[in-house]
Amino acid sequence: MSDTVGRVLGSQHTSTREFRVAIGDERYLQLDDLVVVATEVPGKGEVNTYGVVTEVEAVYEGASFESDTFRIAEQGSMPGVAVRSAQVSVTRVDPELWVAPNPGGLVERATGAARDKALYTDEMGRPLPVGLGRDGLPVYVDLDFFDGRKGGHMSVSGISGVATKTSFALFFLRMLTGRSDIVGDAGRNLRVLVFNVKGEDLLWLDKHNKDFSQDDAERWSALGVDPSPFPSVSLWAPPRPRSGDVAVPDTAGRQDVSVFAWTPREFIDEGLLRFLFTDASDTRNQVSFIAERVEAQLRRYAVDVTGVPGGVVLRDPAEGHGSGSLVTPNRGERVIESLSDLSDALEEYIDPIDGEPDQRWTGRVQAGTVSAFMRRFAAAVVRLGHLIRAGESRRIDRSAAQVTVVGIQSLHDLGQRFVVGALLREAFAEKEGSGQRFPLSVVVLDELNKYAPRDGQSPIKDMLIDIAQRGRSLGVLLVGAQQTASRVAPEVLENAALRVTGRLDAAEAERSEYGWMLPSTRARARLLKPGTMVVSQPAIPVPLVVDFPFPPWATRKEEVAEGDDPFEGL
Amino acid sequence: MSRLFVEGWMPEYGASVEPDEDLRAAEGSVDVEVEDRQWEPIVGIDDGIPKVAFVDGVRRIDARLLLDEVVGPVPGICGTYAVGAVLWDRVERSSEVVGETVARLAVLTGGNVPVLPPLDYGLSYEGVSVPDDDPAMLVRTVQIAMRRAEADLAEELAQGGYFVVADGPLHEPTETDKIGYIKSHSRMYLPEEQAPIMGQLGAAERTPLFTIGEGRLRRYSWYIRLADRTGGHSWSGIARCEASAGLGADAVARLADRSAAVLPSVASESHIDPRAPQNLVPIAALESDLRHRMGDSGLVLRALRTALGEAA
Repeated sequence: MSDTVGRVLGSQHTSTREFRVAIGDERYLQLDDLVVVATEVPGKGEVNTYGVVTEVEAVYEGASFESDTFRIAEQGSMPGVAVRSAQVSVTRVDPELWVAPNPGGLVERATGAARDKALYTDEMGRPLPVGLGRDGLPVYVDLDFFDGRKGGHMSVSGISGVATKTSFALFFLRMLTGRSDIVGDAGRNLRVLVFNVKGEDLLWLDKHNKDFSQDDAERWSALGVDPSPFPSVSLWAPPRPRSGDVAVPDTAGRQDVSVFAWTPREFIDEGLLRFLFTDASDTRNQVSFIAERVEAQLRRYAVDVTGVPGGVVLRDPAEGHGSGSLVTPNRGERVIESLSDLSDALEEYIDPIDGEPDQRWTGRVQAGTVSAFMRRFAAAVVRLGHLIRAGESRRIDRSAAQVTVVGIQSLHDLGQRFVVGALLREAFAEKEGSGQRFPLSVVVLDELNKYAPRDGQSPIKDMLIDIAQRGRSLGVLLVGAQQTASRVAPEVLENAALRVTGRLDAAEAERSEYGWMLPSTRARARLLKPGTMVVSQPAIPVPLVVDFPFPPWATRKEEVAEGDDPFEGL
Repeated sequence: MSRLFVEGWMPEYGASVEPDEDLRAAEGSVDVEVEDRQWEPIVGIDDGIPKVAFVDGVRRIDARLLLDEVVGPVPGICGTYAVGAVLWDRVERSSEVVGETVARLAVLTGGNVPVLPPLDYGLSYEGVSVPDDDPAMLVRTVQIAMRRAEADLAEELAQGGYFVVADGPLHEPTETDKIGYIKSHSRMYLPEEQAPIMGQLGAAERTPLFTIGEGRLRRYSWYIRLADRTGGHSWSGIARCEASAGLGADAVARLADRSAAVLPSVASESHIDPRAPQNLVPIAALESDLRHRMGDSGLVLRALRTALGEAA
């Protein structure tokens, strides 16, 4: 602690929130540098004030007019001295005696133990690195605020195209899975569910990146993680539409991807029907009311069929078929092997061509509502019908690997919402059933504004709010990413203990959702470069700016290192 | 024992004496036949002098004192002055303030030497007495001390190879490259016959030399115009300079040429300085720096009041 950088500025008031440092001639301070200043408090001894540099300024002392600049710098006819100063936001006062630092106090760069104090690392139960500070050393978050002990969930915001949100989320996951020494029990059998919503960026998490350099490796080792791709990854993609009986993954670049689908039986048993009606407008009419009723009826009517695994026929329970019974279809009886079959079968009950709708299925609703329901159902058949098919079960096995990547990029919006809804429900229901917090289940969901929009209702939004509110105690942790936090349901945002942003749109940065940032950080948020994030956590009163290193895993097919070719051996 | 008080009214009260103007040349001693040339404007010559020093001082009355004597009140003052110089390196194109000195004087009339108790903030005043009873001499005493300090600094810099431009009349005419620079003109030195030259003088031009004063105080003087008249009266932008007669007419003519060419380049702009263009940029900056260094007037007055109040 002998790296003196300057003195506390005495021509302005210092406060317990911020002060300024006049920087010595041979010294410098840059943004995000950490400093400490000792203040002698009468009767109490020495108090150390720690802070982070939020702005650095320089001015000609002696110049009172703009044009004096030329007189000082160019003609040299006016005496003037360039003085540099830095604005510091206080992060901590130790011991906690809230006094302002004395003017003229010696300001030192906080290194070693002082740095830990400035960043509260000394008080963190389980400090997990979330990036590197300007000094190249790790900056930590208290894991207790992510894994549910004291708080849970993470919210990542930032404009798209700068490749920050998902990259940071993955980096964080790599830290989570790579630092078992810190994560401890919570890391055992940790399961991560990641949705790939755009491109095929996340389908290469297990491949080496050929652009990964030695410099990057050093930065990773500073974080204490071996710079390697994710060791345990399973990849899933929906079947290609109209691919017949052969289930071919609907991906462009990578073929060794498992295909997922649900059988009609699974669709009915797990109540996935509601996820066909996830448009925000669906709740304004009574479509969701019919959906719930139909869902219940289907569960009562569906009977397994011999010879068609996963397929069902619909029979009145009055006929006496108990659960688990297996029947041979009657002649002419409709066997439901796909969503389209189900649509046809439902039409007979709900909207028959001749006759009245069966009120046991529809309840007392207007004929128009029934039509609306069928119309939407028909649309769903076209858009995601290929996700429901009889045959062997192709459910996503989230226990197969630590990280499960589900590629939904090829699906229509409706299909994406269906898959996300179905999997979230599955993951949440599983934890609700067990009632145990461990093993932790982490869900990474980009474009959260689509699934939990600020306005309107949908079954997925309800579930995400439920996860945000109760997931912390059940060990379901949401890492949500969105371009604009202002478009996401506030219940979801408010429950995220860790808040992170990359570069923000200038107008967006001014919104109240980013009130946790300092004004200076907000101003900078529109200039952040890829790989730089602002991290806020409950343990530290000011947001920290961190860099996270280039990933050792590939994010595009072109980045896959030689000798790590997915087509090898084909 | 007679007691010393700080007067209640503000120190500046009644301090409007302008002692700068009291150095007047004797009438009739002006000699315009110094340079053997026509009485017409002369264009300045910049000889590329690399190092120029501007010397100036500022003063302030900190408090008015009153010594309560049996025979009657004895007036006095506490005054502070600061002198310093701006070194202008024309090659490096940089300026710096050097040689700042701050001194504080406590002055009483009638031969009384004031003794001040210890003051807060580490302030200390040198006690000085003025023999006669003239209160005007109080401010004069501070002024003279300041001028002497300026003259010492100017002489030191001139001997160090600087071309010294000292604000105000030349106090100590010595044979060094040193000129006095006078901004305001309360009287005309040129005889009627030569006076019309002031209307013809263009920017960066000077008048021929003339002498003023007698004996030891005899010195060369000349007028320069710092900036174009642009509609002002014929005295706008005019400054008067003077140099020691001991230097000889040729040497002074060289200094005069130089001053006419160099000084306009540091003339101030009228939108920035109300005393433009005569108040040169380095001198204005120096004055503001020196005023700053004299310390906060409120704090100084308070220290004096506290100390003299407690002394009772």
